[in-house]
Amino acid sequence: MGMQAKSFWSSFFQKAGRRRHLIMADSPKISSLYAAHVSRPVEGDAEEVVTSVGIDIGTTTTQCVISRLTVKNTAPGTLVPRMEITDKEVVYRSDIHFTPITGENLVDTEKVFRLIEGEFSKAGISPSEIDTGAVIITGETAKKENARRISGEMAGYAGDFVVATAGGKLESVIAGRGSGASDYSRRYFKTVANIDIGGGTANIGIFKSGKAIDSCCINIGGRLLRVDAEESRIVQITGPMAHILDDLGLSLKEGDRVDPLNIEIICRRMAEVVLNSLQSSALTGLEDALMMTAPLRLDYEVECVMISGGVADYAYTTSPCDTLDEIGRYGDIGPMLGRQVQQVFKGNGMAFIRPTETIRATVIGAGSQTVDVSGSTIVVTDECLPMKNIPVVIPFGEGIPESPDAVGEAIRQSVSSLYEAADLEPLAIGIQGDEYLSYKRIQSLAQGVLMGLEPLIRVGFPVIVVLEHDSGKVLGQSLRVLNPAAQVICVDQIEVNEGDYIDIGRSIAGGTVVPVVIKTLVFETRQV
Amino acid sequence: MNEQELIQSIIGKLVEQGVIGTLVEQGVITGAPSAETVAAVSASPSASQGDAGEPVTLPPLNEVKVDKPKNMAALEAMRKTTPARIFMGRCGARQKTHSFLHFQADHAAAVDAVFMDVSDACLAENGLFGVQTLVKDKDEFLMKPELGKKLNEAAKKTIAEKCVKGAQVQIIVVDGLSSTAIEANIADTVPALIQGLKAEGISVGTPFFIKYGRVGVMDEVGALLDCDVVVELVGERPGLITAESMSAYMVYKAGKKTVEADRTIISNIHKGGTPPAEAGAHMATVVKQMLSHKASGVTLSEAMRG
Repeated sequence: MGMQAKSFWSSFFQKAGRRRHLIMADSPKISSLYAAHVSRPVEGDAEEVVTSVGIDIGTTTTQCVISRLTVKNTAPGTLVPRMEITDKEVVYRSDIHFTPITGENLVDTEKVFRLIEGEFSKAGISPSEIDTGAVIITGETAKKENARRISGEMAGYAGDFVVATAGGKLESVIAGRGSGASDYSRRYFKTVANIDIGGGTANIGIFKSGKAIDSCCINIGGRLLRVDAEESRIVQITGPMAHILDDLGLSLKEGDRVDPLNIEIICRRMAEVVLNSLQSSALTGLEDALMMTAPLRLDYEVECVMISGGVADYAYTTSPCDTLDEIGRYGDIGPMLGRQVQQVFKGNGMAFIRPTETIRATVIGAGSQTVDVSGSTIVVTDECLPMKNIPVVIPFGEGIPESPDAVGEAIRQSVSSLYEAADLEPLAIGIQGDEYLSYKRIQSLAQGVLMGLEPLIRVGFPVIVVLEHDSGKVLGQSLRVLNPAAQVICVDQIEVNEGDYIDIGRSIAGGTVVPVVIKTLVFETRQV
Repeated sequence: MNEQELIQSIIGKLVEQGVIGTLVEQGVITGAPSAETVAAVSASPSASQGDAGEPVTLPPLNEVKVDKPKNMAALEAMRKTTPARIFMGRCGARQKTHSFLHFQADHAAAVDAVFMDVSDACLAENGLFGVQTLVKDKDEFLMKPELGKKLNEAAKKTIAEKCVKGAQVQIIVVDGLSSTAIEANIADTVPALIQGLKAEGISVGTPFFIKYGRVGVMDEVGALLDCDVVVELVGERPGLITAESMSAYMVYKAGKKTVEADRTIISNIHKGGTPPAEAGAHMATVVKQMLSHKASGVTLSEAMRG
């Protein structure tokens, strides 16, 4: 019976297939109709390849990667095009270099530049070929006085639309995207904590359904204590390490002899700090002292943990890490910290998931996961772009008001909460929610936006609106019709929050989409 | 036992067993369940007889109704990714009452969309005058598609009187297979399209409505008014997800020689698809490309591919 059924269906499909083929060959009308149906939509025809760079200048290491992002229309033939990043391929991974530090304990700008130049020439790429990406200064390095300047200069060198950034929150998100935690949370419907432990900091990003829902940054890293394995001596005790030693009641000084047992005790305590910050948002003592951002909210349940960063390689191996030679092979205590993180978390019964990237998670995240594309029906004035670090305000927390006057008033309030009247800078109006907008609502919204932004328009700043709902084109057109002199940038299908900063690049794919980078609070890290 | 009595007894049993008890408690099925109440949910207008009973509001279809799911959050996340009827749950080998009633109601809405006419009030609100094809009534419209592509003599005369010839773009609104789609969308799509075209400096003729029309009627309009581009907004064949979906067909130099491959189409214009106002704005851009390439359909796609 089963066999019969099977052969019936297979012959049925064969016949059907043959018949369709015959019709298509015989009738030019039907085959052209079919061609019209499968042909790509009229706009944004070809796929576009975007070259993206990621540069991570961390406490211990500096790396860079070059990625190619493919932007393609994913909508079926008869629908309005929907441009999406369909493929991300890392085409070049640099060597992992120690971050050059000057005698004054600053980042050696000159050497970092030379290092990156060298990697670019090895990759066979020039800065002019780079479309987007991010330079991220992470960990302890971000605390250095010249961090902001370096990331800015480096971004300028690497390309027009390369983002400069530093700070724990964003780093946590970038690392979790690079490590695969974000994808894992989407694929397996789990809430994943990605803990990126580098030389100076541990960045925790919480991901649910592919989205970052929380993050924090703790001053825990493998290079907080530097040791000389041959001499069995402590080379350097950093500020945060002094806190840890204090907490443990260990009185170690630079130059003192050190043994593996001491290092194990220190690393165990450090691993516990990381674990505790995942379990309570009311932190005290050492945990509180080392927390560089607000603690995690923990109004969700963490179901599994992924470790990335330089320390991660030692969190997933069973290779020996007992003698001082084994522990101190990089001149620090990173390997032992990895070992202890593994033991402490497993001892606590946490599901321990292996990431797709460990030490390169942040740089790959920076290179291929920071940029997104807007909706495909938008209005932009390319001459104004790219624009970077535009602060986002959310004037309509409770939904868009009905009347243009009320819209205008809400925007005026947002503007004045951000800027003094005499000291205006560009800003983006973020409109959240997927509420349906009729043509009439859009008209009154457009009128209100122009009223509210009148002071900015007068001094020549563009009207920038970032919507979640797919109405960017009609709102942008309405703004242009109502005020033909204003420069309008109206992009949609992007979620933003109050206090975000947004970078908007020049349009790609035949003017249909713009690359967008959303940054949640740049340089917000609290100094310890 | 006749049909009515059978339904009564089944509903009685279902209430006894608590299967539809919750619906009664929530006031979804008001009063004692009766054959009339069920009829109001399930019947198409042609089938309803006598009292229709109180209107019934069903709980939303987007709830996951799977019994004892292992991971409810995962099912809910998946449910959000599609309007299709997934995770409706089942009772033995059959669907649950909840999804069955929705199925009936959505089917009725689809039937309504085909059989109802676009109201005069809707035409008046949108400033459209109406003309008709050679079709005389709905039955003929459904049985003789060819007639829906030809205007009657009165229509040709009215159009000649009321419309300017030689505008760059002529917009027409056609009922097609869903009057519901027309009533739901044109108030947002047409003004957005006109705004977009005028902003590009493109001239637009007087839009009008064609009753009992099919897609191909645009060819006759194009020849009649000698315009560069005809944009036809037409109701799509309704389905169970929505009866409100509208398409826009656009043809450069529409006329007797137009073939299907000449038509550029944007489909799925409705609140849950491409928002109607955004679609109008987007169509203006597409029309601009058609004018600059002097082509539409496959020819336009090829021209734009270079």
